Amino acid sequence: MQTPQFQGTHLFDRLCWAKENLDGVQSDYRVVYEDSVDECAKILVPDPNWMATALQGGILPPVWVYHELAKDEARSDFKKHTRGYLLHETEPMPAMTEEEAIEYLIMKDCPQSVWRNWNEGNKPKMVICRKEQLPSTREWRNAWKITEELSVTDLAA
Amino acid sequence: MALGKIKADTLEHSTAGTVDTQYVVKGSAKSWINFNATGTIATRDSFNVSGIVDEKTGITTVSFTNNMQTNANYATMMGGHDIADSEDFNSQHIFVNRFTSSNYIVQNCNSASAAADWELNNAANFGDLA
Repeated sequence: MQTPQFQGTHLFDRLCWAKENLDGVQSDYRVVYEDSVDECAKILVPDPNWMATALQGGILPPVWVYHELAKDEARSDFKKHTRGYLLHETEPMPAMTEEEAIEYLIMKDCPQSVWRNWNEGNKPKMVICRKEQLPSTREWRNAWKITEELSVTDLAA
Repeated sequence: MALGKIKADTLEHSTAGTVDTQYVVKGSAKSWINFNATGTIATRDSFNVSGIVDEKTGITTVSFTNNMQTNANYATMMGGHDIADSEDFNSQHIFVNRFTSSNYIVQNCNSASAAADWELNNAANFGDLA
């Protein structure tokens, strides 16, 4: 199915079209990250309907749009977004592969302090893995950590 | 855009009166989600959600695809239950831990007020979009 020409269409209307016309895609990818040494590892799970829009193309705005909105929200005098038009009027992203979609989602939903410096320090702060590689039960969930024995070589393999 | 469009300020029923379309626009949920926070946490279905983050036991962040307009002035309705804690559904509770315009945090507790992972979590958001 071809995506309608959506540039200039409110993002919410595009998502309505996607919900009506696309089947959800349950990704097997998970992103494990640590944003504080004092806390357990967190796990980002892509939304199936969002993944369908990413794979379809022509719906989602570029990720820099979210970063611009985040800058606005970080201002001390922030009351409400006045640049929401960036979501709606910026040319949408073309179709992504599942891997590209995960990279986009990391840059959207993980803290920048994690993904900008993911491999600095004693061990990686972030790992992309398959769902099957996570513990199958939630026993000791609040103690989960990325192993210190993980190396970049392991990640590249 | 190739889709059809009807513009109207009012919707009129044949016998039951009229309603301003702003009621529909302002009063509709802007995002919703149904997710399972037990086992390998996963979304069953949703709308206007990009992903969820399993933060720790009983705490899940839900992120919007289309941000809300403000970081505090929207409403989140939630429900669900912890099937494993079936002794006392009435004492379980679910609440919003934090709002921003891009995400919100759902927190679950069992009947002993301890953080717990619930099998059924529902949430819907009302308010203005960015």
